[in-house]
Amino acid sequence: MTVTNAIDPAARPLLDLDRKPDGLSAMLMLIGAAAGGLGLAVVFLKLLTEGHAAFNTSSDMAWGAPIAFYLFFLLASSGLSIVASLDTVFGLDTFFPIAKRVVWLSIITLVAGFSVLALEIGHPFRMLWALPLAVQVHSPMWWMGVFYSLDLVLLVTKFWMMHTGSWHTQAAHRLSIVSFVVSILAPGTLGLVFGMMAMRPAWYSPIMPMYFILTGFASGVAFLMFFTSLMRDHDKTTAEKRLFDSILPRLFFVSLLAVIGMRFGQIITGLWSNFEGMEAHWNALGSGLFQVEIWLGLVLPTLLVSTNGLRASAVMQWLAATLFMVGIFSARLELLIVGQKVPLFRGYWAGFVEYWPSLTEWMMVPAGMGIFVFLYGAGNWLLRLSDAPAKAH
Amino acid sequence: MARWGMVIDLEKCTGCQACSVACQMENNRLPGENWQDVLFYNEGEYPSGKLTWLPRPCMHCENPSCAAVCPTKATYKTADGVVLVDWDKCIGCKYCMIACPYGVRFYAEEKQKTKPDVRDVWPASGDKMWNPPWRMPEQTRNRNWGIGIQPKNVVSKCTFCYHRISKAPKGTADLSGDDPKTREMTPACVVTCAPTARYFGDLDNPNSQVRKLIAQKRGTRLLDQAGNRPQVYYLAGEQSSVPETRSTRKPTS
Repeated sequence: MTVTNAIDPAARPLLDLDRKPDGLSAMLMLIGAAAGGLGLAVVFLKLLTEGHAAFNTSSDMAWGAPIAFYLFFLLASSGLSIVASLDTVFGLDTFFPIAKRVVWLSIITLVAGFSVLALEIGHPFRMLWALPLAVQVHSPMWWMGVFYSLDLVLLVTKFWMMHTGSWHTQAAHRLSIVSFVVSILAPGTLGLVFGMMAMRPAWYSPIMPMYFILTGFASGVAFLMFFTSLMRDHDKTTAEKRLFDSILPRLFFVSLLAVIGMRFGQIITGLWSNFEGMEAHWNALGSGLFQVEIWLGLVLPTLLVSTNGLRASAVMQWLAATLFMVGIFSARLELLIVGQKVPLFRGYWAGFVEYWPSLTEWMMVPAGMGIFVFLYGAGNWLLRLSDAPAKAH
Repeated sequence: MARWGMVIDLEKCTGCQACSVACQMENNRLPGENWQDVLFYNEGEYPSGKLTWLPRPCMHCENPSCAAVCPTKATYKTADGVVLVDWDKCIGCKYCMIACPYGVRFYAEEKQKTKPDVRDVWPASGDKMWNPPWRMPEQTRNRNWGIGIQPKNVVSKCTFCYHRISKAPKGTADLSGDDPKTREMTPACVVTCAPTARYFGDLDNPNSQVRKLIAQKRGTRLLDQAGNRPQVYYLAGEQSSVPETRSTRKPTS
């Protein structure tokens, strides 16, 4: 990791095409291209031959795994955007060495999420004109579309300003403030998409926006820690070492504790309530997704970063971040299922709605992750992600 | 302008499903994707066990949550009180299916519950999901009303047979299959109902039969606490009841 701010950024090429990709970037691009290519090929083939009948969704389980994957990426993006604001909005200079990298991560997780959504939704191209023309202010989904579109534009602009060396201009600061506000509003309205649904009691909660923002933040820190733990020590400056070995894992630890507290509240409320529809929470206790979320995704990572010694280890950081990402991935899918598990009016003979994603739906995982990993590798190679303003050092 | 509504007399309904079949035929529904269905509930055991049933079309709510959540305004309420889907605006996000408290919306682009898959038997052409040999409303296919054979990747729902009721002259109080003058303007499920358990008319007209039945026989609405204010009313009388819940939990006593 080198700080290149000694050179006038404006004088440098936009892309470092003359430089050969380093080993890590090349490997990530290769893995990303292979996984993304495989995932997209299978999904496209299935959609072309079977249409959306290739999914295991039904009129009772209208939203399936792709929506969960979409949540996974979009909320992580918002979390990363909040992390990116710690320095540019709140003046925590410690985070400047990772500011540009975080903004890039935020952009590409958003791109991966939008890609998954485009594969899931019935008419993605119709959405492009029908959504802006409708101005349906009563729909939380419409607002979510507005804020996430705005989020992408702001993040790209913010990245562009960093890339061209405009770190401390007034325009950059104002842009960062607006971007931060939108990075709260976007996951918040995504939370409302679920939390406002009184007819789905297992989702209905004013806490849902806060849950999405908080788990998004924890996901963002996990994404970041996953990649920074892959960097070798001699690539880091002293300030960066402190950030990577101490501050980031501490932030992760605290956010994990907050997520655990909030989840406990949700679970205990769900199990206690007699309100119809809430029996889905009892049903969820027996699901593998729930066990993965709680034990592998929350408890184990918390233990892995619970002491100073453990936190400083890059291996532990990588492991904790990976486990949390797997856990939160399960949690998103579990959330989708729990709200639709109890059918609407179907009579007593219907029972719980059964659902497990099809191969096509699962292949959205390598598709989305592949796009994300490839873009990260490409950015790491071409976009000087370690750039930081002089003030940070 | 009328505000169309339906009354279903549960004491007269025999649960024969003729309404469901008539709807299937009239609206070219895929098997299992029933805009109109009859739900069954069993409670208790012999000798005091009880089997009840509930015919369930779309409720065409006064305050439809499906329309409120639709991000493209594809779902809308007409001036005469009917909730429709504009297939040319629907993006297939399925949010309306999440937000409808009654589960009466259908995507249909999914694995078929019955074999053989009729979509393979009568393969699709053009924008249609399938190509059945019978097509009664096909002659009046209207994508903006969500009527006719369902296209791929959009949501569909009961339209109160809007292609029929929209032909009713202004000021019509009741639409009945028994009256030759209104028979062709009456929803298919109402026309076909052998015990005449279904009534259809203008809820805003104090002289309409539906209004009188609601007033005189204590018309109730399903899941009224949801706040959607259905325009379908049930007459439970002394012999029947509207299910209190949609739950998977059967009563324990």
